[in-house]
Amino acid sequence: MAIDLDKCTGCGACAIACAQENNMPIFEDDSDIPKRVSFLELMKVTNDRDAKYPDVEVCYIPKMCQQCEGNDPKNPKPPCVSVCPVVATDVGDDGIVSQVWSRCIGCRYCQASCPYEARAFNWWKPRYEGDFKNSLNPEVSIASRGTVVKCQFCSHIWKRERDRAVENGVLDINAVTYTPACVASCPTKAFVFGDLNDPDSELCRLLEKEKDRKFRLVHTIDEKDEKTREKLMHIKNFPNPKVYYLTSKAWIREMMRFK
Amino acid sequence: MGKLIGYIKQYIAFVKKEFNGYSKNVKIAIYVMLFFTAGFFVFGIQILFWGLGYTDMSNFYPFGQWIIGDLGLVGLGGGAFTTGFLLYIFRNDKLEPLISSTVLIGFLCYLFTFVFLVFDIGQPIRAFFIYMYPNWGPGLMPASMLTEVAWCLTFYFLILCVELTPVVLKHKVLDAIPVLKYIGHYLHRLMWIFAAGGTFLSFFHQGSLGGGMWDVMYGKASWFRAHHIYFFVVIILATAGGTAFMTLCAYVAGKVMKKEVVPKETFNSIAKVSGVMFVVYFAARLADVILMGTSWVPLFDRSYLSNLGGYYGLWMIVLEFIFIAGAIVLLLVKKFREDEKTFRLGIISGVMVMLTTKLHVVLNGSSVPNFPWKDFIGYNPTIQEWFIMLGGLSIMALIYMWFVKYTPLFPHVEQHGHHEGEAKAAE
Repeated sequence: MAIDLDKCTGCGACAIACAQENNMPIFEDDSDIPKRVSFLELMKVTNDRDAKYPDVEVCYIPKMCQQCEGNDPKNPKPPCVSVCPVVATDVGDDGIVSQVWSRCIGCRYCQASCPYEARAFNWWKPRYEGDFKNSLNPEVSIASRGTVVKCQFCSHIWKRERDRAVENGVLDINAVTYTPACVASCPTKAFVFGDLNDPDSELCRLLEKEKDRKFRLVHTIDEKDEKTREKLMHIKNFPNPKVYYLTSKAWIREMMRFK
Repeated sequence: MGKLIGYIKQYIAFVKKEFNGYSKNVKIAIYVMLFFTAGFFVFGIQILFWGLGYTDMSNFYPFGQWIIGDLGLVGLGGGAFTTGFLLYIFRNDKLEPLISSTVLIGFLCYLFTFVFLVFDIGQPIRAFFIYMYPNWGPGLMPASMLTEVAWCLTFYFLILCVELTPVVLKHKVLDAIPVLKYIGHYLHRLMWIFAAGGTFLSFFHQGSLGGGMWDVMYGKASWFRAHHIYFFVVIILATAGGTAFMTLCAYVAGKVMKKEVVPKETFNSIAKVSGVMFVVYFAARLADVILMGTSWVPLFDRSYLSNLGGYYGLWMIVLEFIFIAGAIVLLLVKKFREDEKTFRLGIISGVMVMLTTKLHVVLNGSSVPNFPWKDFIGYNPTIQEWFIMLGGLSIMALIYMWFVKYTPLFPHVEQHGHHEGEAKAAE
């Protein structure tokens, strides 16, 4: 996935579409952000908190699970998968880091190990008041209290599209395409979704074209030359996320580095 | 039915009589502990039935007080395997008078690790999944450190149950039954096998819960260490801090009972072991801190010092090293070790090393921001978390007191003709 931050207006449609598509519960106090359950968080970043107009710059970064794969894409090792004591989370052949709510025991080890704070825990019992019950998506299971949930790139839509393709006689799995809810809802087309393994996909072409604008969240190893990168990757795994961000603003890229 | 009520009445009268025999201070301590115990049950029910929303943990701070309790209890309980190993394998017979007490403390520490874990996981009813669907990975190496922790803890806990059986069987009612008496006697003779097995298992889970669980998190600059360095550092700490805790418990029991519960040479011997292990731990922890600063944290393009900001940062590491120095000097220098006041300070320092390091690992590690534009997070445990924690510790203390009073936990007291229990001594 690629997200063009220069196009993002911070409208939050992606977060709402995600919540609706994935049956996000609504709690009595949803302003309690640290305990809120959401797959997609819209992070507000400013160049300087004390700056005033016109020097202040603001950027909204839509952040969901970055679908990390570790150093070796052929043998993916996201930081959250190997730590799970009950195999409730795994990486599929499609490269999506999945989570089985009904297997999760709620130890939150995956949450602690995630460098992107992408996982949410159901601190309270998920509730769907009144008419909300009628709008629940039957393709996404409802999580119990005390389990960890996360963005799975709306993989249920992919499964639906795959089944539909099979019904129509298309058996080539790579021919199946789909659009996650956040991507479909973006009014400025800031999101581009596709197959990173397919060099002809729109996503790959975009990332190739926008080499100078692309970066990944707090992933400073990308800025190093290939030799240093290889050396570092011998010492430890790096998350190597599959979500890219695009921007031409230098200060946003600057914000990705710890001082 | 009437007979049963009679028995109950008789028992209540017995408990009342026993309780009235205690000194004022012991009575106050028991009242306080019973208060926390009541809170443990009330808030425990609330957490189990209504969820972890009542804690101050959050999606940004997923590990809290109970995990610190788990790490601390397992670390301190590590004194049981060290003492067992020294006594049964190294044949350090001076430790014999202390062994029953260490086994009991080890048992309680591990038992309450499980209890705190039950509260800490979101779905306690699914806890058996850890045995049913373990994340082993290929071969014998577990993929998840928590899988290894759970399995090793379980097996070691079973070993502690067996090790504790002879102590329980020495209760005067059970000791009167010949079969149980023989079982207790022969179990005691087989104890070296369990001590060896316990040491083997303890090495793994001490390392994996205290260290390995944290150093594998390669996405987190506050915890990651390459080559599992922290795994080994923590094993050394368990042997050092654990033995100090075992000594402290026996020392406090002796003070409350106003008796010599173990001979001075036993304290001397175990304190020396603790002191030597603290020297090793000092070197290991120093190497760990230096490597964190020079090698591991810079891999994230961050500085170790900047990670040590927030509420639980640098001062905790400094404090830990002060306690380490205190434990080494006070437990290794003969003059200080033999003086009661400095000896007491030494073992307290040893226990404090364990406490500060566990607090630092969890509190600082969780509070370090993941994004440059975010700040350090604070954690303020709620009343539910405090009561469950303190209530759990109170129940442990009450069980320990029961054993001290009704079983020959300290055979040295018996051998020297002191048969009156805590009650009379406290009068």
